[in-house]
Amino acid sequence: MTTDMLAVTGGTKIFYRGTLDERRALDGLNIALKPADFCIVIGSNGAGKSSFLNAVSGKLPLDAGRITIDGQDVTKLNAHRRAQFIARVFQDPMIGTAPTMTIGENMLLAELRGKPRGFSYGLTAPRKAKYRDQLAELNLGLENRLDMPVGLLSGGQRQSLSLVMAVSTRPKLLLLDEHTAALDPRTAKLVMDTTVRAVEELKLTTLMVTHNMEHAIKYGNKIVMMDAGKVLLEIGQEEKRGITVSDLIDRFHTKSDAIALQGS
Amino acid sequence: MLDILTSFYGLIPVTIAQSLIVAFVVLGVMLPFRILNFPDLTSEGAFPLGGCVCGTLISMGINPFLACGVALACGFLAGCTTAFIHLRFKINTLLAGILVMTMLYSINLRIMGRTNIPLFTYDTVFTILAGPSANISWVKILIVGALIALVVGLMLYFFMSEKGTSMRAVGASPDMAEAQGINVGIATIMGVGAASALSATGGSIMVQTQGFVDVNMGFGILINGLAALIIGEAITGRQSIRRQVLAPVVGSIVYYQLISFCLTLGLAPADLKFATGAFVLLMLALPNLRKSGGPTHIREKVRE
Repeated sequence: MTTDMLAVTGGTKIFYRGTLDERRALDGLNIALKPADFCIVIGSNGAGKSSFLNAVSGKLPLDAGRITIDGQDVTKLNAHRRAQFIARVFQDPMIGTAPTMTIGENMLLAELRGKPRGFSYGLTAPRKAKYRDQLAELNLGLENRLDMPVGLLSGGQRQSLSLVMAVSTRPKLLLLDEHTAALDPRTAKLVMDTTVRAVEELKLTTLMVTHNMEHAIKYGNKIVMMDAGKVLLEIGQEEKRGITVSDLIDRFHTKSDAIALQGS
Repeated sequence: MLDILTSFYGLIPVTIAQSLIVAFVVLGVMLPFRILNFPDLTSEGAFPLGGCVCGTLISMGINPFLACGVALACGFLAGCTTAFIHLRFKINTLLAGILVMTMLYSINLRIMGRTNIPLFTYDTVFTILAGPSANISWVKILIVGALIALVVGLMLYFFMSEKGTSMRAVGASPDMAEAQGINVGIATIMGVGAASALSATGGSIMVQTQGFVDVNMGFGILINGLAALIIGEAITGRQSIRRQVLAPVVGSIVYYQLISFCLTLGLAPADLKFATGAFVLLMLALPNLRKSGGPTHIREKVRE
């Protein structure tokens, strides 16, 4: 048996504990990913998908449970310490990059993710050359604009850049948080294609949250459906082949939404 | 008209010397505001703190260079305190700055033991370096100019280094910085600390050129610094980190010449703070005035 690349056991996060508004965002969540697994996470609003991703990235410390990455217990590590294992692409293209800094500087920040940063000069010529090569694969012409502030790029270009920044360091774990949801359909497809190519080429262990059921069926080797902070359903590679969009929607539980509505 | 110009011309060297000293404060205002996106008022307290610490030590016979070093360290601690208060207790950055600034006033008084100390009879950095010519404006300009050039050079290098790039990322996008493994809290504390250290250094140089320390020195220095920063940015632009770091020095020099010109034209010194405040207000409001008539967003981010 190989070690799991990511293992969450009994992951629990309770908001507003002990008040009337108490809400279990994660309720004894168990998930394990093998190396190179490409796992799609689906579920209704409030099912705990974002909490799950934030718990893995360290942004949301767990109240109970344990998280290991490649066998190493990271439960107690802060988000910035976990960054040595994890790369993340956010839903909002504005968050995943530093808008006032140049493309080259953003690439530098990503290259040094989780590594000690020193007082030596950052954007050296060899680094710039390497970034040009990495960006050229996108075919967006970004490789000729290393000195341009990222804020001047379109949402799609920024998200593509985010993706290159995330995968270029070959992280142990790649987190994609509805990273094409804010893009127009054509750009979304472009970014999605780039994602799949990178994930397959580099054999990255990936967690992708999406609301797009077609994406869920088309991509990845595993579907995890969440509800009320737990895994409701796990669909493996074999079972995934014959499944249709309506099958998935039929299995959707709306329990967490019902609770959310009653609570409000 | 001619005599006005002559008296303005005569004041140029004095004004340049003063503006180069205040340039430290303007750098200390720029760093949190522009690099860290952390609107900070600590400078208003760190400037007199630097002056009081340095002046008191000099009056005790301590080496002026050492006194400047201690003043710098005290300023650093003041800035760290502001950042810590904000990060740990989630208190608004401006309020945290006001708290520290207000408490510093008492601390400054405690350090000095009285409200002012004359320093004319003591050795200063300037008398040690230049001897009897220490009071000539051009000598001051040379000494302070060399120092500010060194500081600007170091800052430019730092902000293009690996560590400096990550500090800038914290201001540009804290979520992204954290996701890239940058300790946002430490970077913020160090950055705001360094900014206040710069302001305190400005204060320590100021007391040595003016020959006395006063606990009320530098009242309103923050708005002056902000005005100088805005003017500097209008001249150099902010497109690159080079321009951003040069803007405070350029702005300080131009701003103090403008003030000097207004004063020789007959502006009453009493009206100066109002004029400066009005100028800063106008510059900050200008982008919103231009697009008046359009829908205003209720939750639009507070300017600056």
